[in-house]
Amino acid sequence: METTSPVERLLRGIAITLVCLFFMFPIVWIVLMSFQTNETILRVPPSVIFAPTLENYTALITGKLETAAGTLDIDFMGNLWNSLFLSTASVAVGLVLGVPAAYAFARLKFRGSEDIAFTLLSFRFAPPLLVLLPLTIYFQQLGLANTYGGLIWVYQLIVLPLILWIVRGYFEDIPADIEYAYRIAGHDFWSTFRRIALPLAGPGIAAAGLLSFIFAWNNFVFALVLASADKQPVTVGALAFVTASGIQYGQVAAGIVLSIAPTFALALYAQRYLVEGLSLGAVKG
Amino acid sequence: MTTAATDQPRRRRFRVSRRVLPYLLSLPALLTCIGILIPFLTAVIYSLQRYRLSQPWARQFNWGENYLNFFTDPAFWNTLKVSVTYAFLTVTVELLLGLGIALLLQKRNRTNNFISIMLLMPLMTAPALAALMWKLMTNPGFGILSYFATLLGIQDFNWASDPQTAMLTVVIVDVWVYTPFIMILLLAGLRSLPPQPFEAAALDGVPRWFVFWRITLPMLTPFLLTATLFRVIESIQQFDIIYAMTQGGPGDTLTVFQVEAYLNFFQSTNVGRSAALLMILWAITYVLSNIFIKNWLRLREKQRGNA
Amino acid sequence: MTITLKNIRKAFKTNTVLEDVSLSVATGETLVLFGPSGAGKTVLLRLIAGVIEPDGGEIHVNGQNMAGVEPEDRGIGMAFQNFALFPHMDAFANIAAPLTARHQSKAVMKDTVEKVARLLKIDHVLHHKPKELSNGQKQRTALARALSAAPSILLLDDPLRNVDAKLRFEMRLELPRLLKDQNATVIYVTQDYKEAMALGHRIAVMNGHGIQQIGTPQDIYLSPANTDIARLFGDPVINLLDVVPERRDGRVAALISDTAIPLLEDYVPQIGQACILGLRPEALRFVPEGTPGAIPVEVEAETPLNEKTVTLALTLRGREIMVSRPAGTPGPTSGRAHIAVDAASAMLFDRASGRRIAPVHKIIRKEEVA
Repeated sequence: METTSPVERLLRGIAITLVCLFFMFPIVWIVLMSFQTNETILRVPPSVIFAPTLENYTALITGKLETAAGTLDIDFMGNLWNSLFLSTASVAVGLVLGVPAAYAFARLKFRGSEDIAFTLLSFRFAPPLLVLLPLTIYFQQLGLANTYGGLIWVYQLIVLPLILWIVRGYFEDIPADIEYAYRIAGHDFWSTFRRIALPLAGPGIAAAGLLSFIFAWNNFVFALVLASADKQPVTVGALAFVTASGIQYGQVAAGIVLSIAPTFALALYAQRYLVEGLSLGAVKG
Repeated sequence: MTTAATDQPRRRRFRVSRRVLPYLLSLPALLTCIGILIPFLTAVIYSLQRYRLSQPWARQFNWGENYLNFFTDPAFWNTLKVSVTYAFLTVTVELLLGLGIALLLQKRNRTNNFISIMLLMPLMTAPALAALMWKLMTNPGFGILSYFATLLGIQDFNWASDPQTAMLTVVIVDVWVYTPFIMILLLAGLRSLPPQPFEAAALDGVPRWFVFWRITLPMLTPFLLTATLFRVIESIQQFDIIYAMTQGGPGDTLTVFQVEAYLNFFQSTNVGRSAALLMILWAITYVLSNIFIKNWLRLREKQRGNA
Repeated sequence: MTITLKNIRKAFKTNTVLEDVSLSVATGETLVLFGPSGAGKTVLLRLIAGVIEPDGGEIHVNGQNMAGVEPEDRGIGMAFQNFALFPHMDAFANIAAPLTARHQSKAVMKDTVEKVARLLKIDHVLHHKPKELSNGQKQRTALARALSAAPSILLLDDPLRNVDAKLRFEMRLELPRLLKDQNATVIYVTQDYKEAMALGHRIAVMNGHGIQQIGTPQDIYLSPANTDIARLFGDPVINLLDVVPERRDGRVAALISDTAIPLLEDYVPQIGQACILGLRPEALRFVPEGTPGAIPVEVEAETPLNEKTVTLALTLRGREIMVSRPAGTPGPTSGRAHIAVDAASAMLFDRASGRRIAPVHKIIRKEEVA
């Protein structure tokens, strides 16, 4: 397998280049757009030579869009904040709920534990609108419509299964004898959980947290159905942004860049765990 | 030797019996999810009712009528056709492309690792935002891809706004977002295969196409199966990309299940039909996800065994 | 502290591990659980430690029923076969774990840990994490952790299993002294019969879901309850020869190489029955031709071991027989030779059941012990 002819190496090189071009080009292009004004964006033919400007970003950050029709207020920073808050809070709640449950499923095999674990997993695969549409009506009645609390609850639909199944794997990997040894040394169940199980599963818990943050951040449909403008995260907010009148394309691009940058950064940081997270804990990278 | 107080009765704290403990630990998670089961049951009921938000007074059980109507409803068959076409196209292309890229990057070295991490970026992009990015690139006025199309001699290539090419466009976006998913799973799979069969084959001078078909592919099957099923389940439910790109249009070109259900609910306020559509989609994904979970479990056991 | 087990049963799913196990250990006694892997020794220890619960039966410690008593309240020290050190804590914290649970002051803790560590010669690595310790140091750390709170009951699960031969040899010499100083009731699990014989006041032989025999090392070596146990103890392994006792010159005797070996006691019921004669290799010796009762054999091969020489010979019927003699003493290396049997050490087993028939006077059945 080691003998590769020059022709083959060339073909491989071309193939990899094409692949990279296809997958990287849109990101590069949008980043370039975000530093341009409408004039340079609308040039025909398009060109990569332009005087970069930070106007788009300053407009987004200050919330004042200069359009032909006048100044338009747009609360893109609010969307960013919503994304940050909703994702962080959902992950925090998910960890508090999910980690003890993962431990129960991993260690204390109890009646029905597998069935429950699978039911939780199958939520991950049900059509979200099936739950969301009736929820809009319930949320109206419960006063949860357009509240952070309601959204965070619904976000558990994606966050919980992920945390549960990844962290469970990490708990299963701790030799039971280590926990037994700590119990026998005289420590009760809770301090064993706190001082042995939690620290030893720490990397897994961190990975599950980071990944579920990414998934929560990228979610679109929950907030589309359940949130009004003031609670919307960037995924929904950016869409509304495009349809706003007299749009500055550079600002849309800048908005997209700001919205995807956090997940990119986290993904780079957590790349070691990505495979595991994407396969819901089945495959280790 | 030491004078530790082993025989002193130790401080007794509140203790939970062993039988109750696991339930106590998993209860909060369970309650959260039961909260989600209630709307599911509601959806079942809605699907059996004539229920329009605009005519709440006319709400009543019509039992299977919503479902029966589907048989003679061309819009439903269109939805089914569009959803299946979308799932089939996206998953096929992603599988072939993902496998190809995984094979290209199989060898562990710095360049390959770097490229594979870079290629993950589309997957880390929110699908709705990805659709938006492609919308900017396919804008007939200034979109770079529209410009490329003119360079290739295709005038007025309208991408998502043309019924002829709308499907192609959203499929490209889906492929852009999700191929890395298949790629990274298969890459992990390829790299976890035991080297011995390959070394033996190389020693015996077995041709490489033969190695691929007879050794690589069979050993990769559990990964291929898991990745494919995972994607089929998600793809047949795709909402974000299509909604963000065209809202199901132009016309009914892209009214896949969830988009059609969303539009039924919020635009035509036909809750009954919307719920029935989603129930059918749920039935499809339920069957698929059961097959998937079985496979996924087997893969999980095997991978944990290796670890 | 006494430990008493009454009719303990334990199964994992449909896989029975322990069936009706009863056992008692006296205060200050070291009882060795000996047996092949899978015999349920480790499971028994875990039941006593309280980390798993029996399906049936009772465990009493000092007369108190342990049902429902959590492991942390049993006041037991335990060392695991795979050490089970806490990987994120250094050796000091590992050894101190039983002391932190007992809310001891920092100073007392430091004192105690250092004392145990000195005793086990690991005082120089106290601030290393387990992964920076050698196997021997890990083993000593695990042992130190079990000992640090001076528990009155010590459960040692094959602590020498995963250490190299040299250290195992040293520890086998050190451990009895260490355990004696602790004055604890000890249950020690091992698969090594030498360790069992060196450490145990009594040995409980476990095999096939339960305890097959309990007795002093001497008892078990000299009068094993069955052929399985006879085979497990002794190196080289005991010679087991199929025989059918018959009456010769007014006594019951077994024939080897057509030579009658008189059995010490008269077992009339065994005459004509299929039996197995057990002869320890060290109970056989080479004698000059013509010695009364000498068995003619053909010498096949000789294996010098450190302190002894083992000769493999064939009887006239072609059955293998091993003879052991102290290294350096003369013996035949090939050809025809003769061996004499020390009739007092010969054992007789029933061939169908494998149970011992003779010697009869040392039979200790498990019911009598329990």
